[in-house]
Amino acid sequence: MGNIIKTLDVTDSLTGLKDVCDLENGRIAGKIFYDQAIYEQELEKVFARCWLFVAHESQIPKTGDYITTTMGEDEVIVIRQKSGGIKVFLNACPHRGNKVCFAESGSTRGFICNYHGWSFNVEGNLIGQHESGVYEDSNFDKSKWGLKEVAQVDSYKGLVFATFDPEAPTLKEYLGPITWYMDALFDNQEDGTEFVGGCIRSTYECNWKIAAENFVGDILHAGWTHDSAARAMLGGSVAKVSDFEESYSVNWNGHGYEFALDTVGNVAVLGESALNKYLHTIKPSVAERLGDFRSNMIGSVSSCTIFPNFSFLPGQNTVRVWQPRGPNKMELFTWVVVNKSAPEEVKEKWRKGAMMTFSPTGVFEMDDGENWEYCTKTAKGRVTAQQDLFVGLGMDTLLTDTPLPANVYEGQLNEANSRAFYQYWYDMLNSRSWNEVPNRNVGKQEAE
Amino acid sequence: MEVIEKVFLCKVSELAENQVKKIDNAEFGDIAVYNLGGQYYATADLCTHATASLAEGDIEDDMITCPVHWGQFHIPTGKAQGFPCEIDLRTYPVEIEGDEIFALIEADPALIAKG
Repeated sequence: MGNIIKTLDVTDSLTGLKDVCDLENGRIAGKIFYDQAIYEQELEKVFARCWLFVAHESQIPKTGDYITTTMGEDEVIVIRQKSGGIKVFLNACPHRGNKVCFAESGSTRGFICNYHGWSFNVEGNLIGQHESGVYEDSNFDKSKWGLKEVAQVDSYKGLVFATFDPEAPTLKEYLGPITWYMDALFDNQEDGTEFVGGCIRSTYECNWKIAAENFVGDILHAGWTHDSAARAMLGGSVAKVSDFEESYSVNWNGHGYEFALDTVGNVAVLGESALNKYLHTIKPSVAERLGDFRSNMIGSVSSCTIFPNFSFLPGQNTVRVWQPRGPNKMELFTWVVVNKSAPEEVKEKWRKGAMMTFSPTGVFEMDDGENWEYCTKTAKGRVTAQQDLFVGLGMDTLLTDTPLPANVYEGQLNEANSRAFYQYWYDMLNSRSWNEVPNRNVGKQEAE
Repeated sequence: MEVIEKVFLCKVSELAENQVKKIDNAEFGDIAVYNLGGQYYATADLCTHATASLAEGDIEDDMITCPVHWGQFHIPTGKAQGFPCEIDLRTYPVEIEGDEIFALIEADPALIAKG
């Protein structure tokens, strides 16, 4: 296929990363949030190689339905094919590089570049140009000049991921046993999930990793950061997480999920009793489908990040991508996910609830934004950027005797997932190929 | 002297309603034959703007949309509907005989569309 993207040359890894990312000693440094050279390595060694979330299948049900998004800073089009499959193209014309699609979503017979009238069909093939005769006179082979297609596209339970790297492991291998936990949100009913409403976009002056790491395993901030928001939505403070009898932090390949087993702690902050009721109503059927353990996770106090930048909150049902836009800038794309089989009024309450709490004007989102921006901005100081930052909670909490899959740590007030996230980031930046990425997983591949 | 050639296009049974079919024709240029609600029409198949087979386009009411740049022509008259399609499409009278559709083409070389 002439339309598959070229593989990039891999540059050497930076030296001295260990000084700013030393997880064995539970420390990182602010430099990783502000340094341009590190950022450029991330675009190459993380975003041009890892599996990135690009769409939910429900956004593009019919042939020609598409959405536009980004993979790292690369703009892409995600489009449903006649065959039922999904293709992902660079949103750039292979003639002079102009953007070919300016809409966020739609349904189309193809894309025509504004510059010279190059026209591409749904399959990405170049089918013609303005003044087509001059190309024919130049013996131009249009079969070689279609939209550039990413190396691999695959989906898990409606979530569509893509990677620029033909050498990347399969999506299944990449996600590993974290999918067992993801099912608590994305597969708790037979009909699966769908996105409701559109994509909410906002910008932050913060490094993308701070946000991704917050969702990978930082429930610790909630009781303090979100106290006022919780009082507004719940009429009381956030649940005291250290009071939960049982909770976990689990991770794999830098992905992490932290959770309690309280069923509705997350959903409660939307302030909609009908949603708590809905989860209690479906809980017995979830228990039948996924077992008792995961039926307690459907809306519990929990959060997850799939490395590098795809995150979600069960219960609040917000799904998001932290798009890198420079070392100290991030664009946030968020969507609301619901069970397809949920009643329409329940879906609408989720959409509204998520807007109230986790949108640019949402009461929880604003709390986080201020903190994340200043975690980034302090690292502008050359001296400040090199000081150690503590990420050492729960160093000895690995559970070796557990039926649960993945690397399992006791308690969700724990920085085990944050360390695993930064460790995988460090490993990617230090590996010129996937073969060099060390396997640091110690847990089970499957639940017992 | 003007000569009218009667060119066989296809069978009525081969062209469902609101469908278009391309008929290869080396002599006069490829022809697009249309069935619009039981009315048959024929036009040149090659878009007047750039290289494209109109038979690969979509019919919307009595318009054909070119598959390449999405310009439109009025099927019964061949009228170009605007940029990038500015030159009208050649049309041919159609005759039905039993199950067969024919185009009547004036075989004046000056009028023959380039194939």
